Amino acid sequence: MNYDHFIDKRQLRRSFERAAAGYDQAAVLQHEVCNRMLSRLDYIKYIPDTLLDAGSGTGYGNRKLVMRYPSVRVIAIDIAMAMHSQARSLIPWWKRLPPFYKSNINYICGDIEQLPLKDSGIGMVWSNLTLQWCDNIKQTFSEVRRVLKTDGLFMFSTLGPDTLKEFRQVFSGVDKYRHTNRFTDMHDIGDLLAHNGFSTPVMDMEYITLTYDDVVSAMRDLKAIGAHNIADGRQRGLTGKNGWRRAVESYETFRIEGKLPVTFEVIYGHAWK
Amino acid sequence: MDAKLLNILVCPLCKASLLYKKSGNELICRGDRLAFPIRDGIPVMLEDEARILMADEEV
Repeated sequence: MNYDHFIDKRQLRRSFERAAAGYDQAAVLQHEVCNRMLSRLDYIKYIPDTLLDAGSGTGYGNRKLVMRYPSVRVIAIDIAMAMHSQARSLIPWWKRLPPFYKSNINYICGDIEQLPLKDSGIGMVWSNLTLQWCDNIKQTFSEVRRVLKTDGLFMFSTLGPDTLKEFRQVFSGVDKYRHTNRFTDMHDIGDLLAHNGFSTPVMDMEYITLTYDDVVSAMRDLKAIGAHNIADGRQRGLTGKNGWRRAVESYETFRIEGKLPVTFEVIYGHAWK
Repeated sequence: MDAKLLNILVCPLCKASLLYKKSGNELICRGDRLAFPIRDGIPVMLEDEARILMADEEV
């Protein structure tokens, strides 16, 4: 087993706590993938009574889901408290006042690998671009299955191994440290779902390429969504000036039509309990 | 603390039901002897953030 994969959870939480305020401006990919997940939902005729948004961030996804299922009760769980504060601040103030306030959403600060929820209480678990931060996907799937009702739906998106492949390639020539997090392959995720007792898993994958003017703004965006490197094998300290220069120069070789590409391999999946 | 939420919350470690202590605004797991804080109305269900109950603390 390769131990340099492990996600440093405390570091993960810290980076999302810091990212919350500026998150929505930088979370282009998260929003786009969320919209694509929602359009996949068009083909699934199922109306949940309770919905768990696992890794809810600033609540972009669950606000849209409530429009689709107006009577659904939402439980939003995120590891970073600051994300919930940001989510709540996005609800207009008059909607938070008692006569208008319909409490159909509850926020919990928690880890989706250790869900603090009763067995079999949730109709749908929705998780947009969160599973890639889980240390143990198998454990997470078994937790998701535990909290789902029989015939409940699990719908998710996550990132595959080709994500940030340019960064990986660029830095592999510079030093021996890990500069990106590890990502699990789609087929392995499908297998893990089946092994965890989910039925009829459906998986698919697509590449989404974001383009940037320069390496620094690409890095800034990754950092703004809390998605910079927190793998355990990362370098403790900064990459040296020379290392950086070499990395930036080598990234320049990827430039197409004046822009630098950053690749994301997005994996979509759903399965039933 | 929302009663409906309290109804579905369990200890993230042992999955046992929790005791809501109004005085300290905490959710207590007797088995693990942990007290999870509620901040700004949001329960913080992380082991790292929980208070370990003292040996002589009655719950």
